[in-house]
Amino acid sequence: MKTYHDIAADGGSDVIGQVAEQMARLQDRLAQVDHVVAVMSGKGGVGKSTVTAVLSEALTALEYRIGVVDADINGPSMARMTGVRRHTPIPDGGGMQPAVSATGVKVMSMDLFLPQDATAVLWHAPTQNHAYTWRPMVEMAALRELIADTAWGTLDIMLADLPPGSDRLPNLADLVPDLSGAVVVTGPTAVSQMVVARSITAATQVADVPLIGIVENMATYRCPSCGHQERFLAPASGGESLGEAHGIPFLGRIPFDPRLALAADDGEPFLARHADSPAGHAIMALAARIQHYLYQ
Amino acid sequence: MALRETHGPFEGTMSIVYHCLGCGYSMAMLTNRMETQMVRSLGVKIGGQTRAASPMEMLRSNLQGKREEIPAPGQAGAASKCPFTGVVVEAFNSGSMQWTDEAKARIERIPEFVRPMVQRSAEDYARQHGHDLVDGAVMDAMRGQAGRQDSGGH
Repeated sequence: MKTYHDIAADGGSDVIGQVAEQMARLQDRLAQVDHVVAVMSGKGGVGKSTVTAVLSEALTALEYRIGVVDADINGPSMARMTGVRRHTPIPDGGGMQPAVSATGVKVMSMDLFLPQDATAVLWHAPTQNHAYTWRPMVEMAALRELIADTAWGTLDIMLADLPPGSDRLPNLADLVPDLSGAVVVTGPTAVSQMVVARSITAATQVADVPLIGIVENMATYRCPSCGHQERFLAPASGGESLGEAHGIPFLGRIPFDPRLALAADDGEPFLARHADSPAGHAIMALAARIQHYLYQ
Repeated sequence: MALRETHGPFEGTMSIVYHCLGCGYSMAMLTNRMETQMVRSLGVKIGGQTRAASPMEMLRSNLQGKREEIPAPGQAGAASKCPFTGVVVEAFNSGSMQWTDEAKARIERIPEFVRPMVQRSAEDYARQHGHDLVDGAVMDAMRGQAGRQDSGGH
């Protein structure tokens, strides 16, 4: 009689072969994308998604074909920020059709699959008990499908908006080994920088992903009455010193501007209305530095 | 060996009992819900993939509460290259005894190592007594019968 150890392979499921096929599909899709750039932080609330949204708009203004994959599976926000929540993905042409924003950015997000604002991302399973054992695997499989099974067409740059957590970039790098790099977003406070520093360590020591540079968001505030500008929330530029401490270029500061939050809430393109503002100039300068990194 | 009976699935676990037609020797195979769910979480098909996967098949198949307009992917296409897998797939697709929330809550309070046995007993009792649902009354009746059997043995 055969024992467990006599069973060849996995009994006919060919799990390894199926996983290899999944990864081949991912590679085929990414063959049409010149660069994949992660927007990361590690810290929540520093404005990663806002930076991703305006950066996608700025890079489109520089005439690049841009796609945004919302890698925040449980807290997706890119569809709202880019104004495409009405789009429902349907299969067509070998993949699910992405949403396209008013500025021409292609967007794929879990939000596009959910019916209500308050609908949580839950997965069918025989039981939700002990779901911590398998839920991270489902989330990674979902992220793989969002990237691999979206009919992106040809893109110059795909931006991946990562959720908080120092493990997020290494996880993405496992799926996309040829990441062109990551943009690190920090806030001005010391707490933000402490958490972001851990993510930088994980990015460099575990994932070996090149870090394009650090952006300090909400760095300064400009008085709408007299135009006086000064530091906001923290007295010194922590982003710059964080970059120096880790040998990473400092890409610039984006000033606090309530209109950025309003544009994100309404899904309106910020630069289309406020390009000639301090925040608009900072965002365009950031896009130009990323362009320089990728193409020079 | 011949298939004698299956139990479950119940919360992702099931057991399949084979027995020898010659001597009656029985052997049970048990599935572990964690292992099963972890393999499913990879987005692969247990039993093998017999056709090309649909776009975002795992996501569309497994996401709860998705938009109605999003079409469901094609059928899973599980192959039965292995007879055991075929039995499992068939059992999973055939559905199982329904449990009321009250009965589920009661069985959750039972220590995990005896829970599958109690669950099987409750379902067997329900079937034998013409019920298609395990509720609190079925569990009470089963417990009463077990108590009578225990008292009769002493």
